[in-house]
Amino acid sequence: MHILLKNVQVIAPSSSFHGQKQDILIENGTIRQIGGNISAPQAQVVTGTNLHVSTGWTDVFAHFCDPGQEYKEDLQSGIKAAAKGGYTTVLIVPNTQPALHTKPQVEYVLSRTRNSAVQVLPIGAVTKNLEGTSLAEMYEMEQAGAVAFSDGLKPIQSPGIMLKALQYVKAVNGTVIQLPDDLSISAHGLMHEGIYSTQLGMPGKPAIAEELIIQRDLELAQYSDSKLHFTGISTRRSVDLIAEAKGKGIRVTCSVTPYHLSLTDGHLVSYDTHFKVNPPLRTAEDVKALQEAVKYGVIDCFATHHLPQDWDAKQVEFEYAKNGMVGLESAFGVLRKHLPQVPLDKLIDMLSVQSRKIFNLQEHKLEEGAIANLTIFDPEEEWVFNTSDLAGRSKNSAYIGAELKGSVKGVINGQYAQL
Amino acid sequence: MSLSVNHLLGIRGLQRQDIELIFQTADQFKEVLQRPIKKVPTLRDTTIVNLFFENSTRTRISFELAEKRLGADVVNFSASGSSVSKGETLIDTVNNILSMKVDMVVMRHSATGAPHFLSKHIDVPIVNAGDGINEHPTQALLDAFSIRERLGSVTGKKVAICGDIMHSRVALSNIYCLKELGAEVTVVGPPTLIPKYMESALGVNVSYNIGEALEWCDVANVLRIQLERQNTPLFSSLREYSLSYGVNRELLDSLKKEIVIMHPGPINRGVELSSDVADSGHSIILNQVENGVAVRMAVLYLLAGKKAE
Repeated sequence: MHILLKNVQVIAPSSSFHGQKQDILIENGTIRQIGGNISAPQAQVVTGTNLHVSTGWTDVFAHFCDPGQEYKEDLQSGIKAAAKGGYTTVLIVPNTQPALHTKPQVEYVLSRTRNSAVQVLPIGAVTKNLEGTSLAEMYEMEQAGAVAFSDGLKPIQSPGIMLKALQYVKAVNGTVIQLPDDLSISAHGLMHEGIYSTQLGMPGKPAIAEELIIQRDLELAQYSDSKLHFTGISTRRSVDLIAEAKGKGIRVTCSVTPYHLSLTDGHLVSYDTHFKVNPPLRTAEDVKALQEAVKYGVIDCFATHHLPQDWDAKQVEFEYAKNGMVGLESAFGVLRKHLPQVPLDKLIDMLSVQSRKIFNLQEHKLEEGAIANLTIFDPEEEWVFNTSDLAGRSKNSAYIGAELKGSVKGVINGQYAQL
Repeated sequence: MSLSVNHLLGIRGLQRQDIELIFQTADQFKEVLQRPIKKVPTLRDTTIVNLFFENSTRTRISFELAEKRLGADVVNFSASGSSVSKGETLIDTVNNILSMKVDMVVMRHSATGAPHFLSKHIDVPIVNAGDGINEHPTQALLDAFSIRERLGSVTGKKVAICGDIMHSRVALSNIYCLKELGAEVTVVGPPTLIPKYMESALGVNVSYNIGEALEWCDVANVLRIQLERQNTPLFSSLREYSLSYGVNRELLDSLKKEIVIMHPGPINRGVELSSDVADSGHSIILNQVENGVAVRMAVLYLLAGKKAE
């Protein structure tokens, strides 16, 4: 298959074509030629106004629910959602049934997703069955293709286990991903503890439940001199703690979701379950702090926390509704809309380069002769997000009807493309 | 005159005129309730279902009496033994009942926001009879109505709400109602039973000292300790709670003034309230119960009228 991208603006700082408007010819998955006015009669031509191209984007925390809950999402529908959102690589969480905690499950994911426009990379469980009590066989999972380790949506509670995990993964230069949340404080909460939770009569999840785990795990990361990644950080103080730790040379990185950068606990006044997520939506002040932290580089990359839920899981009383929303398809439009202070080059760098560096993933090149791994987008297009824009199996997005800025036009991953 | 809302989901969202309209209407129904024949045909041909997904004695009886005295047809539903125990969803349960042509829903539910959720899916008026730890609006209305009856007005009065503030839907509804009517509110209880953002979120005073709060107030609304709502232990023992926050005769006698004692019931006698206080002349607890019927008649009548518009 040959593809010709016409008149596209290259956003790839490491490329010699960065900042230029060029035609790009891809032949059988390889970038054959970059230049002006290329003609290739055999090729599928991609044209449009204000087209931009970068190396492919990577999401570091998504849930594809397969195996176990394929009625919410499966590997193939997850791939469609990712491609629609401009992602060519997705790290998926191990919170499947059974949990992704041994080598065969890593192999299952890789074998089922090999030939597609999106590379799906498993995050192996830190503990057996995600129970938080004994270490899973992480070395074997790493050899089979797991790229990081985490108990995913079930944060590791025991400091002893967390320390052992951080020490254990050093042998494979691994990274432990933690979603910081102290369940002894937050377990019964339904939303951020604050003015709104008090007014709405909802049990709260205090910010300190997140911040205590961050403080604790930073100490453990420093003690073990191991690599730690926090995902879904959501409070001002979390940002400060991580910034301070980075200053001290602790090997910590972090990611934030598009929804924590754009929505607040005030959205819960109508008890709309689409806004029920964990970590919960925080205050406007926290959102502002997170936006600033992206701008100043405290936050390394984005994580969609794509968490599909079926209709029944959300169309119930707020207390019984499941957490989470799908996020892959809306991510770019939300980020561009709500981060006007972040230059496009930086945003794209976070999506396509930084998210890979953290997990030692090979850097994609945008040069002649390189394997084509590309995302094509229009960073300025303003549009309204609709249910029809969701390509996965579940429709639980809080952005239905929202005005977004920046749209994805397609992805190319070697021989495979979705345009 | 009519209400500004189509459902009574909470006091939050009501305007002062709404509350005053409910009170004026309740005055008239209270007069009806003194007659030998305590029934009016106002809601004849209206069918009301009482959906109680959580236990209740007085609220359910009070609603049922209010409905019957308005001439409505009444269907009662309680969660135990119903299809809910077979795993049916709330929407399914309610839609099935509505298919049988029900005109109004009164609902109690253990989950905060359940009636708000329901209101997005059905188009008959809903009266919230208590949702989780959120609101219990008719209780707040009858409490304020009872204060107004005893003290002439609510505006400018000082009300202490005592006890388990965190798990009490009565507390939250009372705060919204009293503040809307211009009363001053102090919440008092052990710090573990008072939400952290109480003052800034709701504009009330917070005290941890029951004696000081009672000395300050005109009315003390003593709440039931809701042991069944506590997921983790929030105080050491009922004994210590009673010693530190129980309202008893000795405490009342030590005050330099007379205050009115209220309780939403059911009372844990000897825990939050001693019997010699509950049954004393200070107490308007049984007036609250009596007024409950009139106030609920007013709410049902006004919502039915709103629907007919």
